[in-house]
Amino acid sequence: MSDQIPTVNPFGQADDPIPMYRELRECPIGRMDFGQKRPSFVVSRYADVRYVLKNAEIFSSCEAIDIGNDRPMIPLQIDPPEHAKYRRLMDPYLGPREVAKLEDDIRKLTNQIIDGFIDKDQINFHEEFAVPLPCTMFLRLVGLPIEDMEMFVGWKDDIIRPDVEWGDVEAAAEIREKTGAKIYDYFGGVIDERLANPGDDLLSEFVHGEVEGRSLTKEEILDICYLFILAGLDTVTATLDCYFAYLASHPEQRQAIVDDPGVIPAVVEELLRHETPVQVFPRTVSREVTMHGVDLEPGDHVLVVLGSANTDPEEFEDADEVHFDRQDNRHLAFGGGPHRCLGSHFARLELRIALEEFHKRIPEYSVLAGAGVSFSPGIREVADLPLILTAEGARQ
Amino acid sequence: MKVSVDDAVCVGHGRCYAVAPEVFGADDNGHCVVHRAVVDGVLADKARLAARNCPEEAITAAD
Ligand code: HEM
Ligand code: SF4
Repeated sequence: MSDQIPTVNPFGQADDPIPMYRELRECPIGRMDFGQKRPSFVVSRYADVRYVLKNAEIFSSCEAIDIGNDRPMIPLQIDPPEHAKYRRLMDPYLGPREVAKLEDDIRKLTNQIIDGFIDKDQINFHEEFAVPLPCTMFLRLVGLPIEDMEMFVGWKDDIIRPDVEWGDVEAAAEIREKTGAKIYDYFGGVIDERLANPGDDLLSEFVHGEVEGRSLTKEEILDICYLFILAGLDTVTATLDCYFAYLASHPEQRQAIVDDPGVIPAVVEELLRHETPVQVFPRTVSREVTMHGVDLEPGDHVLVVLGSANTDPEEFEDADEVHFDRQDNRHLAFGGGPHRCLGSHFARLELRIALEEFHKRIPEYSVLAGAGVSFSPGIREVADLPLILTAEGARQ
Repeated sequence: MKVSVDDAVCVGHGRCYAVAPEVFGADDNGHCVVHRAVVDGVLADKARLAARNCPEEAITAAD
């Protein structure tokens, strides 16, 4: 049976992944060869992706990723039931009530960033907006020095997108290992400092936080920090790139936002669905299970393709099209099941405010003619997004 | 119409209280709390819409 499974690459075609997603769903279980001992099976239909996410006792997160970390990252690589004790500690700090308090701060920062380029006719959206807005907010929230942003972003990039030939697994592992050591070293120092001088930032809360009536160990706090740097500094940037690359080349939809900003919360959801910035993430099989006639064995890897789930016509009407008035939208851009993105309430708030303020002040913009817009695979960012800010008179 | 949420299934996506804030709210963790367990008319429509937007299918909205 397993030789009949088509070989696929869910990391291909990040610029326009929708046709690739369609092919994946037809398989419907594909296979990707990373040169690992055990096969990686690719799961792509909405119902199958939901099944994997929901059943953590069959599809474990523990061993699924090795990106320079010495121990499992918390809570990403902890399975239920243990997982819940960490989420109980962390969830309130990133719950909707707590993050709502940041709204004014985010709005102010967004406008300060726009002030910096409002008189220019052309910007690199990624560098001038998509990086500084979420990264500054994240560092403020966690309580890390804004001056060191470039260093943190550099570490995060070295781990998520190590600069090596595609497929050179060893060179990538070496970069990740080195960067990982720097992250542990840096945060080791910060944790000691917060133990001595607690502030009202998130890191202080974790340093002094308790699970099951005991304090977190230093290793546990490090394992949270490692994940936070990666999860918090990359995804909102990539999502903003996806949004503005889309809107800059779809003037009618851009205009719809300018004409009625009330549509923005729906835009946030619909573009999360259609663009799905985090395309794929992994699980490891921990119990025998059969999917579509394919027997998965403990130790096999599974790649969950959120992008193809989010464009599955079995779940979404006109799945490949963007409709801001879509009524039913159970998209999985933040994952689902117990590991639902911890930062989703914070990310949604930032995305909404960014769309509101940008369109209020810069109602017309487009991609520089002739510029190729290229997305990185895995987490779709556009590192070079030259936008022309048109209609100077309309800018404010 | 009666509205309920299965706490064991809800993981706090927050779609329900975003689309139907009159019917659902959030606890400190962002998980769903039902504000109105019995609704009709427009609010019943909204509760059904919320149920259809919950990725975990945690909400029951039925007569
Ligand atoms: C639009 C932006 C974002 C997207 C698309 C996104 C996406 C995701 C996805 C798909 C997962 C699930 C991974 C899995 O199940 O294996 C996840 C988990 C996570 N995200 Fe996000 N994320 C975003 C923003 C953020 C931000 C801003 C933070 C931090 C403040 C964050 C922190 C986390 C954490 C800690 C987890 C692990 C949760 C767990 O394992 O229980 N994310 N995210
Ligand atoms: S949308 Fe579903 S999972 Fe999310 S808070 Fe509401 S009931 Fe819970």
